[in-house]
Amino acid sequence: MHKKLILLLTLLAAIVCGGTTTTLLADEASAAKVQKLIDAADAARKEAASVGGEWRDTGKMIKKAKKLLKKGDYTAAAKLANDAAKQGHLGYEQAMSQKDLKMPSYLHY
Amino acid sequence: MKKVFRTLALLALTCSIGATAQASTPEEDLKAFQDFYKKRFPNVETSDYVNGAYSIDPVGRENWEAIEEFPPYEPFIDDGMTMWETPFANGKTYKDCFPDGPAMKGKFPHWDKEKGMVVTLELALNQCREANGEKPLKYKKGPINNIVSYIASESRGQLTNVEIPKDDPRALQAYEDGKKFYYTRRGQLNFACAHCHLQNAGMILRTEVLSPALGHTTHFPVYRSKWGTVGTLHRRFTGCNKQVRAKPFKAHGEEYRNLEYFLTYMSNGLPLNGPGARK
Repeated sequence: MHKKLILLLTLLAAIVCGGTTTTLLADEASAAKVQKLIDAADAARKEAASVGGEWRDTGKMIKKAKKLLKKGDYTAAAKLANDAAKQGHLGYEQAMSQKDLKMPSYLHY
Repeated sequence: MKKVFRTLALLALTCSIGATAQASTPEEDLKAFQDFYKKRFPNVETSDYVNGAYSIDPVGRENWEAIEEFPPYEPFIDDGMTMWETPFANGKTYKDCFPDGPAMKGKFPHWDKEKGMVVTLELALNQCREANGEKPLKYKKGPINNIVSYIASESRGQLTNVEIPKDDPRALQAYEDGKKFYYTRRGQLNFACAHCHLQNAGMILRTEVLSPALGHTTHFPVYRSKWGTVGTLHRRFTGCNKQVRAKPFKAHGEEYRNLEYFLTYMSNGLPLNGPGARK
């Protein structure tokens, strides 16, 4: 009986510890992935800013994503970082599409 | 067949030259800009555009005229006069920098050949302060609005007369950069300044009538009820950029100074009537 109990407790402890380690490893992997997404978003924002095409909320979204990452809310942080990266890319594309002055057709010279 | 190709190639070349030749002079821009409003609002006198949206919105005008009976910007003018007369720590005053006195708004913005840049009134005031060992004022909020209100009030009636000196190509480039800014789509909403204040002037956005760009610069600084205080033109530029969800530029940085240069040039000939009161 005593031996059986020890065996059971040992088995239980092994499962719990193993699970925690797995979770910690998974957390570290998620945090690193989200950090990469945030870095990519910031790079996209900077690229847009370099041509005067940064949008109003991109920087704020990145800041918020960083806070969420610290809190451990990886899903929300990743979503926000992806949205910010999209804004960065679109801002850059927009500025590039406006590179040449286009005078409106309703102005008559 | 060869002849057809040759003709088409020639036609394409002609078209491309035509597109390049679209570049216009500031004088042509001014005429096209002001003519647009004449056609758009044939019953509005050009001189009335100094009143902004109230030149085309009769109901708003009634309210505004009632507000102007007790102008909300008056205390700011008084404080500005005190600032003008109060000596700096070194005993000098603003008058030492601007010997012609406070009625000088008509001279701004102008091209400064020595500095190679557009100089705005606010920038010149801060340069004066710094030259006299004072800290520069913040550009959007606070005391700068007092002194600019006083100067605007003293300058009422002067005509907008921005010059683009022909002997310095950098001045024309600054004007062109300001023009480019004005017609460039930006922000998440993908709007240019021109979309609201040229193409759609007079249309209603939410509850507000979009003001015409002609005369935009004559009545600044303005007391805005929304702000509960007086604010500068560059504060308004910032607000407009934010409204289209673009990141605003630095007040009195190169982008906005050039924009002011172009926009003020577009109102050449109109009298200054600042400070104004707006919703």
